[in-house]
Amino acid sequence: MPAPTRGFLSRSAMVILLIASLAACVQTAPPELLEAVESLDRDLVAIRGVEFAPTEYARFVQDWAALRGRMLAEEDVIRWPWEPNPLVADLQKVHEEGEKAMAVATQRKEEDHRDAEARLTLLERRLRVFNSRVDQMESRVVLGQRPIETELLVKQARSFLEQGLFARSLQATEQASTLIAAQTALLTTELGRYADERLVGAWRQMARRTIAWSRTNRTTVILVNKADRRLTIYRNGRPVVSHPVRLGYNGILEKRYQGDGATPEGQYRVVKKRDRGQTQFYRALLLDYPNAEDRRRFQKARRAGAIPAKAFIGGQIEIHGEDDLPMSQTLGCLMLDNRRMDKLFEQVEVGTPVTIVGALKVSNPVALALADLEQSEEG
Amino acid sequence: MKQGFICCMVVSALALTMGCAKPPTDKLAAAEKAATEARAAGAPTYTAEDFAKLEGMLTAAKNEIAEQDAKLALLRDYGKAEQLLAAIETDAARVNTEAAKKKEEAKIAAIRSQRAAQEALKTTQELIKKAPVGKDRAALQAIKADAQGLTASLSEVQTALDAGDYQAAQTKAQTIREKSQAVQAEIQRAMTKVGAAKAQKGKQGRK
Repeated sequence: MPAPTRGFLSRSAMVILLIASLAACVQTAPPELLEAVESLDRDLVAIRGVEFAPTEYARFVQDWAALRGRMLAEEDVIRWPWEPNPLVADLQKVHEEGEKAMAVATQRKEEDHRDAEARLTLLERRLRVFNSRVDQMESRVVLGQRPIETELLVKQARSFLEQGLFARSLQATEQASTLIAAQTALLTTELGRYADERLVGAWRQMARRTIAWSRTNRTTVILVNKADRRLTIYRNGRPVVSHPVRLGYNGILEKRYQGDGATPEGQYRVVKKRDRGQTQFYRALLLDYPNAEDRRRFQKARRAGAIPAKAFIGGQIEIHGEDDLPMSQTLGCLMLDNRRMDKLFEQVEVGTPVTIVGALKVSNPVALALADLEQSEEG
Repeated sequence: MKQGFICCMVVSALALTMGCAKPPTDKLAAAEKAATEARAAGAPTYTAEDFAKLEGMLTAAKNEIAEQDAKLALLRDYGKAEQLLAAIETDAARVNTEAAKKKEEAKIAAIRSQRAAQEALKTTQELIKKAPVGKDRAALQAIKADAQGLTASLSEVQTALDAGDYQAAQTKAQTIREKSQAVQAEIQRAMTKVGAAKAQKGKQGRK
């Protein structure tokens, strides 16, 4: 075998040098790894990593930003093929951090979603129960504009939840919950007397006296039970007929002053019968409200500042029929349907005693609904 | 002797050249200012992820500066930090513009919802004036209380708008509009019912 010539050796060396110089390359990040990190970055944006995994996302962002800066700074650095590309290891590290952030964000987002959904569902259920009890007590007006504020908050919470704004949904849920609790407290203050044994005892006494009077004087009396929404006619001390009755728009409350929509409680008499054409409410029986007891109570409340200084005691409390005149209002009267009003009108004379009580039993519908509400608040 | 002298000269020249590397304080301040401006433009709310990246880059730049600061003066190189800071300034301007754009879009949407809610509520209030009382006077009173509540809530929409909380303003306005429409439907139903009852009554009267 002939020895290689000097020229051959020299050419070989040149070729090796050329290959080596061509093989030494600009350091680049592996495109598939780069794309994987960029894709993770996009996914983290979509899942709102900054909100659900703030620490992990911050670490990922910081390292990814630093790496990108480095890639930018070192894009001209040439390395030999046998030298390891540090970008690969660094990209892998950033990718791992991104995956970790993604896992944490996904888990927390799901947890937050579940939590917000569970709380809101519970609140919606609580609101349904609350509304049903309020309707049962016919005490919607007592609460003023609070029910609509609560409903709006609940709807807002649902809207936030649907937009994926869980923290805001929880905030609205919390506000609505506080509002329901405040309304329950208000109802307890205003209607707690229906569960007051002493007061219910006094109402019962009042009713007994009226019935006893009917028995003794062999005459007709009317007993109205506000909690039961019943008007009962007694003759000779015995119940003859009972009618469902509607109260003033705020009838369940204790009457305090003119225009409060509350139906008074006490012992009255029919002082005037108003037939068709004499009243806008079909036919009516005018009561002698306010009586001496009402006046005493009104003056006491005024002195205590419990009612507006310019308030009047009111009057014109009737038991009347119905009419559909636009905007006509019952400000504390008792209303029967016209067919029943006809019967009552014929059975009652001027002077007939009318006793209106809150309730006759402590376990009346108002007290029971209230207890139910308080229980659900405690639960 | 001569070689030693040359070495000293080279080292001195290097020291003079490289020892001059100073931390990019001005650039850092400019980047921080840009990030603050982006925050003020609502970036944390409207371009949260971009803003998080911006903050991440700022932290990385600060870390890099601190790393270089810890080195011997001759070996310090703030080039990488400067590149990052320059990128922050560029990105901050983009994030700022994007956040301002999204914020404006949210504002427009919230105002549009507010107007729709105002119109719906106005229609409701007009209908309430015509509402029949019927048998249920308490229902009318409740409807009136609802209208009052809706009016009060509408002022909360304005408060949220004034505070720049467009998400809350929009959702609240939408719920007010929906509820106003529900109340309108309730009144319309009552009016139809009463109208039919009156017509029936009229027919009976003519018999």
